Amino acid sequence: MRRFAALWRLRVRRDRLQLPLWIVGTVLLAYAGYAGVTESYGSLADRQGILAAARADPVILMFRGLPSGPSAGAFLAFEVLPWLAVLAALMTTFLAVRHTRAEEEEGTAELVSATPAGRLSPTVATLTHGLTANLVLGALTGLALTSTGLDPEGSWLTGAATAATGVVFVGIGLTAAQVVRTSRAASSLTIWVLVVTFLLRGVGNAAGTPQGGLLRTASAWPAWLSPFGWAEQTRPFDENLWWPVLLAAGCGIALGILAVLLQHARDMGAGFLAERPGPAQARPALSSSTALVWRLAFGGIVGWAVGGALTGLLATTLGGVLGRVAGTNPAVVHVITRLAGSGSLDEAAITVFFTMLGIVAGCCAVQTVVRARQEEVRGTAEPVLAAAVGRVRWLADHLVVATGAVVIIVAVAVAAGCIGLAAGGHDASDLYRTVLVDGGGQLVAASVFTAITGLILSLAPRVTVSLAWLLLILATMLGMFGPLLGMPGWTMNLSPFGVTPVVSGSGVEARGLWWLLLAVAAGTSLCLAAMRRRQLAPAR
Amino acid sequence: MTAAIVTRDLHKHYGRLRALDGLDLVVDAGQVHGFLGPNGAGKTTAIRTLLGLARATSGEARVLGMDPWKDAVAIHRRLAYVPGDVSVWPNLSGGEAVDLVVRLRGTAVKDRQYRLERERLMDAFRFDPRKKGRSYSKGNRQKVALIAAFAVPADLYILDEPTSGLDPLMSVVFHHEVTRVAAAGATVLLSSHILSEVEQLCDRLSIIRRGRVVEAGTLADLRHLTRTEVSFAARGITPDRPPGVPGAHDVVVAGGRVRFTLDDDRVAEALPALAELGVVGLRVTPPSLEELFLRHYGDDPAAAQTAETRRR
Repeated sequence: MRRFAALWRLRVRRDRLQLPLWIVGTVLLAYAGYAGVTESYGSLADRQGILAAARADPVILMFRGLPSGPSAGAFLAFEVLPWLAVLAALMTTFLAVRHTRAEEEEGTAELVSATPAGRLSPTVATLTHGLTANLVLGALTGLALTSTGLDPEGSWLTGAATAATGVVFVGIGLTAAQVVRTSRAASSLTIWVLVVTFLLRGVGNAAGTPQGGLLRTASAWPAWLSPFGWAEQTRPFDENLWWPVLLAAGCGIALGILAVLLQHARDMGAGFLAERPGPAQARPALSSSTALVWRLAFGGIVGWAVGGALTGLLATTLGGVLGRVAGTNPAVVHVITRLAGSGSLDEAAITVFFTMLGIVAGCCAVQTVVRARQEEVRGTAEPVLAAAVGRVRWLADHLVVATGAVVIIVAVAVAAGCIGLAAGGHDASDLYRTVLVDGGGQLVAASVFTAITGLILSLAPRVTVSLAWLLLILATMLGMFGPLLGMPGWTMNLSPFGVTPVVSGSGVEARGLWWLLLAVAAGTSLCLAAMRRRQLAPAR
Repeated sequence: MTAAIVTRDLHKHYGRLRALDGLDLVVDAGQVHGFLGPNGAGKTTAIRTLLGLARATSGEARVLGMDPWKDAVAIHRRLAYVPGDVSVWPNLSGGEAVDLVVRLRGTAVKDRQYRLERERLMDAFRFDPRKKGRSYSKGNRQKVALIAAFAVPADLYILDEPTSGLDPLMSVVFHHEVTRVAAAGATVLLSSHILSEVEQLCDRLSIIRRGRVVEAGTLADLRHLTRTEVSFAARGITPDRPPGVPGAHDVVVAGGRVRFTLDDDRVAEALPALAELGVVGLRVTPPSLEELFLRHYGDDPAAAQTAETRRR
């Protein structure tokens, strides 16, 4: 028991900065969500209008929760509960992988397992740590909502539903970490599960049956396949059902136990998917440091490109459905244009999805440039820099590959978007133009993150990974949720994703394009200049 | 003879820590130069500075006549480096990693000479090039760097504890390779803790402590710095009546034996006195490299001396 406690304390200590940030961020979203909802949709009629519009429009339901009536609390749950659950899921995914497979990869797990603590207790300690983190997250979320004066049961249930989703992902993360051999693969696998189950839930809600006018929805079966669906089925501030929380928590704990059993059955450091031998010789193409960066980043880029293609396809196919309700329901027009700025409904839907695409491409850019830092820490930057490769060239390689990746992702998305348009029988060339303009704009926005990450890497290498991702998350929050949370306009202009050019009428409005281009150019040249003076900074 | 590496009053500070504190190191071209010192003495920092991976705080360094920070790439074309703790890319096979590093040093993809050398070295080191980086043991990771270093000729080899993790058989292969490149005229800077390796391979050595070179010279030079130890059965000699041997230092009578040390060049002078005493069980131990190490590696030389006595 003492050994278990020591391992648990070690986990708490290692996360003493990260976890509070995640938790505070999530609680803040809940709190700000309440403020935004009361400010923007203060009257019952406002909320009824939005719910009716959402019922009619699958695009809204993909990005919002399950409609459960027009009360302020239920409407808040509709707006933010899925996102609270996503944050909890992301927090715990990284937590689960960080303390299991990543430790095994680094070799520290071996050190622990050779002590009487044994092979299983690290996994059990991680499970406990994950459960506790979610408990705290759920309790604080409940507390924050109660403090606003909302109904206590609904508030606590919102917290519980959020935490329960986190618990499911503790289990999924731990299991993934058992099955595959690297922490990166385990994280990617879990994130894919996250994205797919999030979409399933959206599809289930969109295909559900309307009740109580258009203000409530009974979800179709796909929603029940998703932990996010379970969280929503609690219907906080409406029916206040607690059993889906138990379902989710039970499922998470069962998966956690499965992970422990898998751990028991396998060798330290091994996975369940066998390792294939590699080639004895390098291909002729692998003969420059640029080629090396490309080779190392390739797997990740393919994953993001698939995500980009899906986003592009949804942008134009789901958007097509909008046309049918546009004339009949002015509330739809209201919410979509509120998210997207201006323009026709189809254009607005495309803009919403292409903002997502920008974020996807930005993630890939950050991940690719951050690799430079990871190579530096791991020590594999050293053989490259000790060969005939200069520091500036080494950084430039990462920027070049990141830019290439962003171009590929956007190109794939634009192509998928155009295919969607063609398949939907759209003859309006306007929409093709919207796809191109939005895609081009998001390409520049994502490139800002290439430059920013490069700048952090050359000026403050030790915080590269955390700071680069933090900035991307902030920009995402501002770009995606700023309008919804009633944030002041200038803060939304801080997000590169929110200031890209848009089609307006027959022309194109540049908006922040020149600022974005300036940021890319200045950031790139500054970081390359700074790299001339920077030495290798291997240790933390 | 020109120098392949020269540093003058080289400093490298990390905040308050002076990793290099006025390092004066000279490695002549064509030499195999041993670079010794206890852990944390600054060997790796010195090597990283010479490679231009770290920038000196002050002082001057020339590697192959160039500035290691500004001309890093030009220097690296003529240099091969083996770190003490090799990291490899987890998802690249060993063969790919070797090829990559060699190509990054400027070797053409289809270089026939390289292909042959690579084959020979992989055979000699019994290296399986198809395994992925993450599954290599420490010794095998070390082989990746060694094969990449020795497969194409270089003017300067910088080897930082290159045999750590290698089995003795593979160490022999390594010795062959160092001898081979030295015969071809290359310069080698070899950081090592392994006495036999240093003794066997190095023409000269520099001992570094707390960021500065405390001793430099050939092995024979350095041997003179320690004393020959003499001991014999006490037989009537007691601590209050020491034997009158000229040049004897630190005379101790204990455990039925008399012990003292002599300066290396005064052993002959002491012999007549020993003969006069009619000593029995005489043991004369010339200075070993080990003593030299212990003297310089310990916290302070006096402590090292006692540690050394205790070991016997």
